[in-house]
Amino acid sequence: MQVTTENKNGSLVIVTEGRVDGSNAPEFQEALKDAIKEGEQKVILDFERLSYISSAGLRVILMFAKQLRRENIAFSACSLIASVKDIFAISGFDKIIPIHESQKEAMAALG
Amino acid sequence: MPSLKIKTEVAELERIFAAVDELGSQNNWPDDFIFRINLVVEEVAMNCIKYCHMEGVSYFEITMDPGNDVLTIEIIDTGRPFDPLTDAPEADTDSSIEDRAIGGLGLHLVRTMTDDMRYRREADRNHLTLIMHKPS
Repeated sequence: MQVTTENKNGSLVIVTEGRVDGSNAPEFQEALKDAIKEGEQKVILDFERLSYISSAGLRVILMFAKQLRRENIAFSACSLIASVKDIFAISGFDKIIPIHESQKEAMAALG
Repeated sequence: MPSLKIKTEVAELERIFAAVDELGSQNNWPDDFIFRINLVVEEVAMNCIKYCHMEGVSYFEITMDPGNDVLTIEIIDTGRPFDPLTDAPEADTDSSIEDRAIGGLGLHLVRTMTDDMRYRREADRNHLTLIMHKPS
């Protein structure tokens, strides 16, 4: 698992690559926490290269989403592979996290 | 038929995933089916790793039988009696982001992604059987 960030058009894009499972979820949590800097306004979670995630990783995403909401930071997710998209839907995450087909669409929606 | 003796340690996940991937490629199963097997096996294994370990249990067992029409996965542990069909709390998949409860998603995913789930307590062991229809 690898997490990288880039600033694009005023949004912080957080790219997660590889597998997030019970053994590396704590590192994933740290990486997301470290990605957010003071004054952040818009965050996009790009999951195009996220190949696997289980409930341990979903838990981290939920806690992160709660944090962003508390801090009034707009956020969305994009580019989920089909299997990951299924997991999000079964978990009801699609009801609390806006999911877009591409980074471009996510950016347009965040404005 | 792969049968694994697993230590109640998170580091064992790697060995579990390797066994699932190997079984998947031997049977030419599509990636999304292998993804789902990895997921359900991880979820039940993680529960065992967490709770059995707390109870001082050092090992549990996973067998995967690719059978004919269905894949049968059995997890056997010597932890205290736990029936995931009745003893686990319902997952919260509806509340707003502020109210959404954290946890319980693992077994919810397992219930959704398997076609049948059976539990029995036998000879002081928990036997959890998961049935998954194989892709045609």
